[in-house]
This record gives sequence, C-alpha cells and structure tokens, in this order.
Amino acid sequence: MSANVTNADWAAVLSIAVLGATGLAVLVADLLARTFVRRYIAIAIAMIGIIAAGAIVFAQYGTHYSAFGGAFVVDYASVLFQGIVLLGALGSVILYGAIGEERRIAGALALMLWSACGAMLMSGAGNLMTIFLGLELLSLALYALCGIAERAGAHEAALKYLILSSTATGFLLYGMGLLFGATGSVALSALSNPALATNPIFWTGVGLFFVGIAFKLSLVPFHTWAPDVYEGAPLPVTAFMSVATKAGVLAVLVRVFLWSLPSQHVSDMLLPMWIVAGISMIVGNVGMLAQRDLKRMLAYSGIAQIGYILAALAGGSAEGFNAALYYFAAYSFMNLGAFAVAAMLSGDREEGSVIANYSGLGYRRPWAALAMTVFLLAMAGLPPTAGFLGKVFILRSSVETGYVWLAALLIVGTAISLYAYGRIVRAMYDRSTHPVPAAKPFVPLAALSAAICAIAVIALTFYPFSR
Amino acid sequence: MAPYAPVGIYLVVALAAALLFTGLPGLLGRRKPNPQKSDPYECGVEPTSALGGRFPVRFYLIAMLFVVFDVEAASFYPWAVQMHALRLFGLFEMVIFVIVLAIGYAYVWKKGGFQWR
Repeated sequence: MSANVTNADWAAVLSIAVLGATGLAVLVADLLARTFVRRYIAIAIAMIGIIAAGAIVFAQYGTHYSAFGGAFVVDYASVLFQGIVLLGALGSVILYGAIGEERRIAGALALMLWSACGAMLMSGAGNLMTIFLGLELLSLALYALCGIAERAGAHEAALKYLILSSTATGFLLYGMGLLFGATGSVALSALSNPALATNPIFWTGVGLFFVGIAFKLSLVPFHTWAPDVYEGAPLPVTAFMSVATKAGVLAVLVRVFLWSLPSQHVSDMLLPMWIVAGISMIVGNVGMLAQRDLKRMLAYSGIAQIGYILAALAGGSAEGFNAALYYFAAYSFMNLGAFAVAAMLSGDREEGSVIANYSGLGYRRPWAALAMTVFLLAMAGLPPTAGFLGKVFILRSSVETGYVWLAALLIVGTAISLYAYGRIVRAMYDRSTHPVPAAKPFVPLAALSAAICAIAVIALTFYPFSR
Repeated sequence: MAPYAPVGIYLVVALAAALLFTGLPGLLGRRKPNPQKSDPYECGVEPTSALGGRFPVRFYLIAMLFVVFDVEAASFYPWAVQMHALRLFGLFEMVIFVIVLAIGYAYVWKKGGFQWR
C-alpha cells in the first residue's frame, strides 16, 4: 500500500498538490478578507501558487521519472506541457483583475486552479486511468467556470459545454474500455505491443479515443461547440480554455498516438487524424472571416492553429515534435495577450470582445492597439513574431517527413486568415467617423500581462528553443 | 472475442429479464382501473396537488449538498474497515480529505448555501 510509494513519487506530483492547495487557500482567504481587498488578495494568492508550482515543475527539467508504478511520468514533455498549462492559468487569473463580480472571484479562481491541476495531471499521464482522472478534473471545473457569470450567454455556454463534452467523454471512455479489452492493461506502455497492430478491437478503441480527443481539441468535425462556448464563457475562462485545456489534451494526444501505438502501420492508421488536421486549418480560417465577436473569432483561430500543431506532429519526427511545442508556446503567448488586451477594454459587460469596438483604437489607446497588432500578426504568422518562425518550423518538418499536402493546406489556410486578422488591424488604425466609446478605467494587471505577452511573442523569435 | 462472451450473455439475459418483467403484466394482468387506483401513491395521504407541477429550484441545491456529504460518508466507510492495514498513511490521507471538505463546508456556509431562500 504505502510501502511501494516512495517520496520521489510524491515529489513528481508536488506541483499539482501545491496548485490544489492554493485553490483551498484562495477560498479561505476569501472568507477572512475584507470586502474591498478581496479581489486582489485572491488574485495574489493564486498567482503566488501558480508561480511556486511553476518553479517546482521547472526544477524537474531534464529529469526522467516514472511515478506511482508508471501512472504519472515526469519527462521533457510533461515539464513543457505543465509549464504551458501554468502559463495559461497565470495569464487567465490575471484577467480577473479587470473582469468579474467581486463576490464570485474567489470561487472562480479556485475552480480555475483545480482545473489547471487536471490539465497538469493529463500532461504527465502514464496510463488510461490518470488520463481520465485529469480530464474529468479539468472538465468538471470548467463546466462550472463557464456558467459562473451572470449573463444569459454564460449559462447557455455552460449547458452546451456540459452536454457535448460529456458525450465526447463517453466516446473517450468507450475507446479506453476497448483499449483495455485489447491489451489487458491500463498502462500506455502496453499499447505498443506489435501484436495489436492487426487487432480490430484495438483500432476501434484508438478511433473512439481519437474522437474524444478531437472534440476536446475542437478539431473540425467536432468543433461546433467551440465558438458558442468561447463566446458565452467569461473572458478569463475563455483564455484559460484556449491555452491550458488544449495543452493538457495535446499532451495526451502526443503520449497516446505518437509515443505509445505500435510503430508499424501507424502512419497509415493515423491518416484520418492528419486529414482532420488539414480540414481544421481550412474550416477554422474560413470561419474566422464572418465573426463580429473577438472570442468567437479566436475560437475559430484556435481550431486552425491546433490544425497547424497537428501538422507538425504528423511526421512523428523529433523535429516535428519540437516545432509543435514551439508553435504551441508561441500560440499560448499570443492568445493570452489578445485576451489581455480584450480585458483591458472591458468592464463586466465585456465590451472588449466586440470587434466593432476596436475601430480607431490606435488613436485612443495606442499601446493597447500596438500590442493587439503584435498578437494578430503573430497569429497570422508574419515576421518578426514567433508565429512566423513557428510556421517555418512546421512547414519544414511536414515537407521533410513527406506530408507536403499538409504544408500546402497550411499555406492556403494562412492566406485566408490574413484577411480576417488584417481586418481588425486595419480597423484599429482607421481614422473614420466611428463614435468613440467612453474611456475605460486603467487596468494595470491586464496591461502588464499584455505587455509581457507582446514582448514574449517577439522575443521567442530570437530563442527558438529545442531539445 | 471469447473473454467477452460472458459479458454478452449477461447483457442478453439482463435485457430479456427487463423486457419480460415489464411486458408480462401488461399481457397477463386484468385491468380494472378506478380513480383510487390511478392516484399517485403518497403513503395513504390524499394527494394535495398535481404531480408533474413545478417545484422550487432550491431543492437542487439541497440535493447537490446531500450528494457531496454522502460521498464523504461513502469514502469514510472503506477507510474505517481497512484502518489498521492502512496505518498512519491512511490516517493522513483521511485528515487531508476531511480538511478539504471542511474548507468547502465553511465556504458554502459563509456564502449562505444553507439558507432556505
């Protein structure tokens, strides 16, 4: 029982425990704090906890350890994905400085921290049980987070997300059941048995598992929930969903599909996955063109960008994996930055998510507009941003591994997206006759976050990290 | 496929049993309805209002709180049975579990979750 669990095992999940305890601390502090400082105390505690967890995670960098009999793995990928989850949590928690009702801040922050715990658990999951545990922890907290605001759209978003996401979880669980039936083990290492490659039950399980994962990543046939939920959820929650959730699920995708399946036939059997990625790039970018809401547009943008990341993974090469991680890190910064700018322009009615409010912004709030321009250029993949370098890496890896058609779709998708992103940039620097909305209060935390993200998006270009 | 055969047989038997027990009374039984028989059963008390009407949404809150604390009780039970085998480790686990729940309890209390509104 306790005999075969060592201290090193506990150390592997210490960061998750710290994050979970921080959630509790936020709740307790909210009960004790005076009303007028409540919001900032909650945010400060949450940020300290996230940074502490981040320090613990990066102390594990370069180590390799298999904890709890293989249920949880610490390696290069777990450290980086957990780092991105924490980055996403930090960037979203900060936005509560500008948005949200005072009396619900602590509850929302605690839920977000616990949701991040789930994503971190998924990042290092070494067996099917851990994956499911992490996914449920992540999702259950998110359902509540989506509906926590007093807006009509928020409840709609929460209900939609609950029903559709539960259905997808059902697919995932059924897939896991079949995988367990085929291998007789929940360990991911058992999936690599070459004898499984001819087992139809095994591949059915893999397919159902992929349907669940594709839903959570909002890849194209399963993407319709994303724009509605992103639009209805509160701004910080949308930011969190677009980064931290995707990091956790992407880690599972890499571990299961690229590192665990039997290596022969994999490229053939995974072809549907890459086709889905290709369609996502086109549909996501086309869907962006008609949007009037920034959160909705970023949902479609996210669909396309996850397609790009999958394209990098398609070859299964180490270089492709690095390209995917690099692009995902850049994607996290540009998304968090864009949401931070939206939060800067928002009150509780979230005016910052209406694209029409951006016209003429370059003359009203020059710095906010400049930061937004950087993020939009990065999403479009123009130099001198990390989005450009990331796309170059992805193109190189897809061409080298023989997925030229994916590279071609990526270029087509990017060309379509230029119009959608360019439209906002143009509106921001348009001296036309639009009415100028009333000046908003200055929001230091969101502005700081936007500034850091803007610097990071450009700085990453000079630091193309790799293994 | 052989290991799945018992599961398949179990499914078939379960389905057949369910259909049998719900179908047979309709086929074999005699029907003599009267208003008294059609009343919803309420422990012999005369029904005061129509079923299927509205009932206050606060019951959901009560139900959710009940589930939370019921799960707590359910997790205490196996620990209590295995307390000697689990030793100090089990005690620590349980203490942490109770602290987490206590914080949640305090939070719900302070936020007015137990008030009947």
